[in-house]
Amino acid sequence: MSGYDFHPLVKQLLDGDLTLADLPVELRAEGEEALRLLTAVDRRPVELPAVTQRVMQTLASRPAPAAPLPPVPAWKRVMQPREIRLRIRPWILAPALAIAAALMLWIWPATLATPKPPSLVTVRFVLVAPDAREVSLAGTFNQWDAHATPLVRTGSTGVWTATLTLPAGQHQYAFVVDGERWVPDPGAPAVDDGFGRRNSVLTL
Amino acid sequence: MLTLLALPLALLSQQQGIAQRLAGRVSPNVAALVEQLATAGAARGLPSDPLIQKAIEGGAKSIPDDRVAAAVRLVAMQLDIAAAALREGGPVSDTLAITAGAFALTAGLSASDITALARVGASAQALTVGLRVAGTLAALGVPSAEDIGLVSTTLRSGQPAESLLLLPAHVQSAVAKGSTPAAAAAGLSRAAAAQARQGPPPGHGEHPPHPTPPPHPTPPPHP
Amino acid sequence: MRPGAEPKDGDIVRAVLAGEPERYAVLVNRYRDRYARYAARMLGSADAAEDAVQDAFVRAYDQLAQCQQPDNFVGWFFLILRNRCFAERRRSRAEAPLEAADSVAAADRTDGGAETAERRRALQLALMELTPDQREVFVLKHVEGLSYGQIAERLSTSIPSLKMRMHRAYDRLREQLREHT
Repeated sequence: MSGYDFHPLVKQLLDGDLTLADLPVELRAEGEEALRLLTAVDRRPVELPAVTQRVMQTLASRPAPAAPLPPVPAWKRVMQPREIRLRIRPWILAPALAIAAALMLWIWPATLATPKPPSLVTVRFVLVAPDAREVSLAGTFNQWDAHATPLVRTGSTGVWTATLTLPAGQHQYAFVVDGERWVPDPGAPAVDDGFGRRNSVLTL
Repeated sequence: MLTLLALPLALLSQQQGIAQRLAGRVSPNVAALVEQLATAGAARGLPSDPLIQKAIEGGAKSIPDDRVAAAVRLVAMQLDIAAAALREGGPVSDTLAITAGAFALTAGLSASDITALARVGASAQALTVGLRVAGTLAALGVPSAEDIGLVSTTLRSGQPAESLLLLPAHVQSAVAKGSTPAAAAAGLSRAAAAQARQGPPPGHGEHPPHPTPPPHPTPPPHP
Repeated sequence: MRPGAEPKDGDIVRAVLAGEPERYAVLVNRYRDRYARYAARMLGSADAAEDAVQDAFVRAYDQLAQCQQPDNFVGWFFLILRNRCFAERRRSRAEAPLEAADSVAAADRTDGGAETAERRRALQLALMELTPDQREVFVLKHVEGLSYGQIAERLSTSIPSLKMRMHRAYDRLREQLREHT
């Protein structure tokens, strides 16, 4: 036993079985030292908000947990199917794109010149892509069809535009360049698309 | 009871609708998964549209089946969490609000953020817009405390939905002028709080009120 | 079950095993922070706690079929998290809990000030010098506020053996704090 040990009565104090007043006078100082030690305990709640998303993403690619199989009688030979775990690499889209930053241009309701029923909004989409041969728009409003909504190249400066009338609500979209490269709108808010890329968000 | 009879018929026609929307756009495996998740979710009052949309998106982007399945499952989880978070804030079971809540989760907000907005007590429609805007602000880089603070202040002020919808653009233009997303949102909060008091009283020259502090998440109970 | 009612843990576990794995997310969200503080004080930092809690949820999912009492998912989950916390010790002895200082210091600007932050940090460092068993009984009683009876039930052990562990912990903490002050 080293000289550092607390007196047994002080340990009972720490356990909450005694109060400071219960200690004999000569142990009060040690008792106070002990209680002071407890005041340094960090009891603040800890929150881990990132855990939910990270667990969900891990579980989304995992096979479902199997319910226990019914017990197999000893006289029956059964081959249990083996679980094949897929290792899925997150898809990382190569960022090298020869596309200049697009100008952000939305037309939000307050600045509309033409009166429309309150549930429809006209929006102009713009992408600056001087080297593109074709650009189209795909999103939740057109079933993500890469051929449905081509943008039109204006002039010779490589500015591509399209104007759509969309219902109020929330839409996600991206530009499709040359039929195969999916590019979010650099001027718009972007969210994870769940496939390793980003979608642009339009909130009307 | 009529409702019990109606439910399976409604589910059947819903399933046919889902199959039609997915036909030719996703593989049969993915379609089967979406139908399964959508049916199970619908029985719990969850919307199916986000699942269908995500599957179609995956098909259009030529994503392999297993990745599409994973993304669709993720959406299903987010809908569950969003619905639970909304219930915790009040009796909200509006499917558009649940969809908006799931979007907010995608954008990086947490279930407690969703509950905080639900607790403001706005109408289902206003709450839906609020959740969409909160997610959009998060996507712009506004930290969750300033984000929820701004949206709840705006919701409480009782202004129409349009004022919520303008918030992301205001933040973007402030950022373009050199502000951080957090500072931009805080500035808009102060303005919204001032507007909630209907401007300075006729004696003017008054200090703007302190911004409404963001709601603190409740600490977890003792185990 | 009427739509809108909060589902019980047992119902969710059974649903997951019956083919609705996405329901598990509700359990994650429900209990994500419940033992976060325990993990943080056991491992020395919120970052380590985050990894541990995340791993524990994934493991619980994988082994969900072995959960004997689905209605007490949270108790079973705690044991998985506990194992994970104890395993951490074997992994990284070298890592000093520097994050404890950072995360404590960052939050302490508003409550208690620099002196409280320093004392908290010192105690957390001293806690890391205890054995995991000693640290755990200290954390469960003095951080989580459980009684000896509750701790004994949770860890399936006896109160006298817990007290013995705790009293050794008190002595070692005192020794550590004296040596480093």
